[in-house]
Amino acid sequence: MTAEGRAASVQIERVTHRYGAMAALSDIDLTIGQGEFVTFLGPSGCGKTTLLRIIAGFLRPSEGRVLLQGADVTAVPPHKRPVNTVFQRPSLFPHLDVGENVAFSLRLAKTPEPEIKRRVADALALVRLPGYERRASHELSGGQMQRVALARVLVARPRVLLLDEPLSALDLAIRLEMEEELRRVHREVGATFLYVTHDQREALALSDRVAVFNRGRIEQIDRPERVYRRPATPFVARFVGDANVVPVDVTRAGGGETSIAIGSERILRRFPQSPEPGPAWLVLRPEALLLSEAAPRAPGIPGIVRDFAYRGSGYAYRIAVAGLGEMLKAEVPAVESGPFAIGAPVDLAWDISACLFLRRREG
Amino acid sequence: MESTLRSPFSGAITIASLVFLIAPLAVVVLFSFHETASLAFPFTGFSLRWYRAVFASPSFLNATLNSLIVASVSAIATLVLGVMAAFGLSRSSSALRGPLALLFFLPITLPGLFLGLALLVFFSRIALKLSLVTVTLGHIVYVFPYFLLIAKAALDRMDSALEDVAADLGASPWQVFWRVTLPQIRPVVIGATSLAFALSFDEFVITFFVIGSQSTLPLYIWSSMRRTIDPSINTISTLLMLVTLVMFAVAFALTIRKDGMRAEVGR
Repeated sequence: MTAEGRAASVQIERVTHRYGAMAALSDIDLTIGQGEFVTFLGPSGCGKTTLLRIIAGFLRPSEGRVLLQGADVTAVPPHKRPVNTVFQRPSLFPHLDVGENVAFSLRLAKTPEPEIKRRVADALALVRLPGYERRASHELSGGQMQRVALARVLVARPRVLLLDEPLSALDLAIRLEMEEELRRVHREVGATFLYVTHDQREALALSDRVAVFNRGRIEQIDRPERVYRRPATPFVARFVGDANVVPVDVTRAGGGETSIAIGSERILRRFPQSPEPGPAWLVLRPEALLLSEAAPRAPGIPGIVRDFAYRGSGYAYRIAVAGLGEMLKAEVPAVESGPFAIGAPVDLAWDISACLFLRRREG
Repeated sequence: MESTLRSPFSGAITIASLVFLIAPLAVVVLFSFHETASLAFPFTGFSLRWYRAVFASPSFLNATLNSLIVASVSAIATLVLGVMAAFGLSRSSSALRGPLALLFFLPITLPGLFLGLALLVFFSRIALKLSLVTVTLGHIVYVFPYFLLIAKAALDRMDSALEDVAADLGASPWQVFWRVTLPQIRPVVIGATSLAFALSFDEFVITFFVIGSQSTLPLYIWSSMRRTIDPSINTISTLLMLVTLVMFAVAFALTIRKDGMRAEVGR
């Protein structure tokens, strides 16, 4: 699964990790290319941080192997691995100033003094804190602290950088700014970045590939566009971006048309590639739904507006469809006709190119 | 800050308590400067004659030297043992952690009399001759739990994520300890060592059991009181109190101020 033409930087082979009887990770296989930016995305408790700690060496997997640059490091302690981690909290050493924090790994490696000085200055310049060497760490803002933490790992020129939700403790404005910085730093240093987050927006914005974790497994790993547009499972569809994931029944109708049963409604469509007959999940992004006034011979299925909220760029509706357990979410651009009132009957239609069917097992 | 407890009644109680606690000490200090041999009021005039007399006494100087040696050695030994034990108790994930901590803290709950007797029996069993060595060993047993309690609290309070960060940056466990852990708890460790020194310096009961033929300062005071009572006792007590107070003040300042700083940084 390596992106083409890249040497493997990190290989995870059949890694399983158990806490007592509970499996935090089940049989993970993953290969990450040199210089790739890969995000582990998932809700809390999905195993993404566990895998990162296994790669860093803080956890020993119950089963499986971890290879870095082709060498098996499964039994190697963290301080002997060629990876460095930026943690959720900056955790700067309070007894050292900014410069000595950044110089920490170089001092351990007994780097000559002039080189330490130069590399610390370079690392601080890279994170846009030039000349901050003599500052005390507690004088810095949260964003600056996290930049110093980043400089502290970059100074060692790691081949693989692990980032464990490094932005989650920061304010939104600083977070957006730091995302840009991370993309720039990644381009400039060329190291492999493994980034853990539960924020799908961050994952889409930063990564070459996104691995979506759920219950200790990777549900899908692909480019952000593919994960968003072609989710492999209902979980991925719901977790990455907003989506209606509704149970439908697909049957072949005459004349090349396909019949889709949604709740107690039924529509006929002609697909370029007709979906497999049988029970399925229909994935519809809220922005793909079109609303119009209910009318006889309308193209879609009838529904009733149950709620709406103004979102600036448009309206977010919740629409009840007869026989369907959950309401459909629709995001409609603001138009001259104004919003539909709560209780109004509407016609709900969508373009067939926006439809995605996923296999559904009964029960 | 206006306290709701500020009534004339509670103020009076506070003053009465302080007088009750401090007055006997003040009297001791005052009469150490008395110009006559009288230990009772009226106080007739100041003089340093008892201080001169005390410092001219070879047995006083010998006892003081013994006390300083015992307190220094037991404080330093406690420092080394205590930091190691505290680190183990605070960072290990062993199931033995709880029971071990209980064992380590047990001597605090034992009466000094019991500890002294037990040590005496133990030393005679292993045929160790009673001397300053046995006194030092006894003092280590006595002060160790206090040191451990303080050092372990400091380690527990410390952000252990710093140790993960250091390991991640390439520090071996030994380097993590010297470069990150110890600097974080250094003031508290120095404070707890001062406390250990102070506790050992004026310890009497255990010393009394295990000392053999030599003497320490508290023992010297006790034995001279059995002979005569003159202001030189007050002088020695004042000196003893001074050393103890200074060490306690150091311990207090270092262990408490560190907490204040942490609160200020906030997290």
